[in-house]
Amino acid sequence: MTTTALVHVVVSGLATGSIYALMAISLVIIYNATRTLNFAQGEMLMISTFVGWSAHEALRLPLPLVLLIAVAAAAALGWLVERLVIRHAIAATHLDVLIITLGLSLVLRAAAGLVWTHDEFPFPSFFRERPIGLGPLRVAPVSLGIIGGSLALMLALAALFRWTRLGRAMRAVAQNQRAARLMGISVERVYSASWVLAAVVGAIAGVLIAPVIFLSSKMGLVAINGFTAAVLGGFGSMPGAVVGGMLLGVLENLAPLWLPAGIKHSVPFLLMIAILVIRPSGVLGRVRQRKV
Amino acid sequence: MRWAAAGAGGVVLLCWPLLVPPYFVFLTSLIVVNAIVAIGLNLLSGYTNQLSFGHAGFFAVGAYVAAVLTLRAPALPVVATLALAGLATALVGLALGIPCLRLEGLYLAMATLAFGFVVVEAILNLDWLTRGNDGLAVPAARLGPLALGSDAAKYYLVLGVGALMVAAAVNIARTRTGRALLAIRESEIAAQASGVHLAAYKTLAFAVSAFYTGVAGGLFAFVVGFISPDAFDVFLSVDFVAMIIVGGLGSIPGSIVGAAVITLLYDWLAAFQNYRPLLFGLILIGCMLFMPGGIASRMAKWTHQAQ
Repeated sequence: MTTTALVHVVVSGLATGSIYALMAISLVIIYNATRTLNFAQGEMLMISTFVGWSAHEALRLPLPLVLLIAVAAAAALGWLVERLVIRHAIAATHLDVLIITLGLSLVLRAAAGLVWTHDEFPFPSFFRERPIGLGPLRVAPVSLGIIGGSLALMLALAALFRWTRLGRAMRAVAQNQRAARLMGISVERVYSASWVLAAVVGAIAGVLIAPVIFLSSKMGLVAINGFTAAVLGGFGSMPGAVVGGMLLGVLENLAPLWLPAGIKHSVPFLLMIAILVIRPSGVLGRVRQRKV
Repeated sequence: MRWAAAGAGGVVLLCWPLLVPPYFVFLTSLIVVNAIVAIGLNLLSGYTNQLSFGHAGFFAVGAYVAAVLTLRAPALPVVATLALAGLATALVGLALGIPCLRLEGLYLAMATLAFGFVVVEAILNLDWLTRGNDGLAVPAARLGPLALGSDAAKYYLVLGVGALMVAAAVNIARTRTGRALLAIRESEIAAQASGVHLAAYKTLAFAVSAFYTGVAGGLFAFVVGFISPDAFDVFLSVDFVAMIIVGGLGSIPGSIVGAAVITLLYDWLAAFQNYRPLLFGLILIGCMLFMPGGIASRMAKWTHQAQ
């Protein structure tokens, strides 16, 4: 295999990997606040992307506005879900909340099917498909655009967590809820903010990936790879989510070169089982000691 | 009084194929098949608090083992086929359960979810054995010279096996093993401190749960007569979870009621395919928010109030 072809595979792997990383980040944001996994994350991504697409179809809006509408829809959806459903189960065990989000994912997917049917739709892209030459290498602008957009978003998130009041509050709640509450942080507000933020990250990921994988009620399944990415990097860690996402994207694209073709779709799942069994704390995670 | 009611119920179940049209007999068979899965899943999730989203995978293994055995070794009596399907699935359960001992909560849920996807991919890739997407037509089960081809014959097969499985589960729940499993659910640390060997019992729960699901998968293959990979997708796993959530975690009667409710809903909503997940999702959310113990705990409360 030539180097140029290898670069092409790796770059497109990094592009899907960035999306996995964004999904992983949004799962981790919610996990750090409410200690639960949001099974409906992918469906929330799908709904907000569909809302943006509807605005595009109805009003012929330019893409940046479409992105804004998708983000606004996601923020509203995230806030509503947390406020109307999750908040009421705050006393329940994590598994109960897990099952609630599972039910939510069924409801959202079915609702999307009723509104927009279960067909696939093409989604307009910021970037062109035709490869451009960089010296001897050829890469698709859409891949570079996805990587660039995701990296920009990740930097913005890092800045948010590091330098804003909300970011500090979210980190404090992730570390120790009771201590955070005693320091005067409104934990409930952090819950809300986490769900909104996670939904917004998902919406941006959705608008970036929809031109590549098409818009459909099934596109929420990408969240499962996001979970694998988060586990790969160490669940709960933001840098881990980024590294895990990129790693998963590249591995998934490289694996078919050496393994039988039929196995490609199983790669993320086999990888997830393997990493959970061999090193549950992930590549960058620390082992969490349990107190009695 | 209780024995009389049970006896009357038994007589009705035995005469069922004479009383109702064949389609309802078929539907009842499906309910019993799903009830066996729900009991198996409940032994794992309800009793030891290990949530599994991969039971469609075990179900598929059982169904395919039974189907392939019936096609390749037609002389084998159905009881042996089902036992082998259950044992093969239990082995798969052990293979998954031992590494999963290190996992809990979310991680276990995701690992089992991934297992379900891998099983479907494996069935697609082993097409020399499973014929991939084309699926397998399953010939009628044979019991000696008898071919169990009619809906009524299949029903009696399912009912007989189901009764055995229910009796076994009730007895497991009442023994030392059952109490150990319940102790693990309440608190792993406390159970361990009281001398419950955590790893052994959790692995046992995985294997027994897989055995139940595998046997049910084999029965499913015979009842439906045709299996293909798309019947065993992740949504089937979700349906199984819905059964024990609706029926009641950690309750064997609850498992049966939950299986009946979900199977009947599934059938009634067949014409409204698009609304089905909507309703199932709302049921899951509603149960978790307003009826965490499922129908079983609600019924227990009513009978308690009536006394």
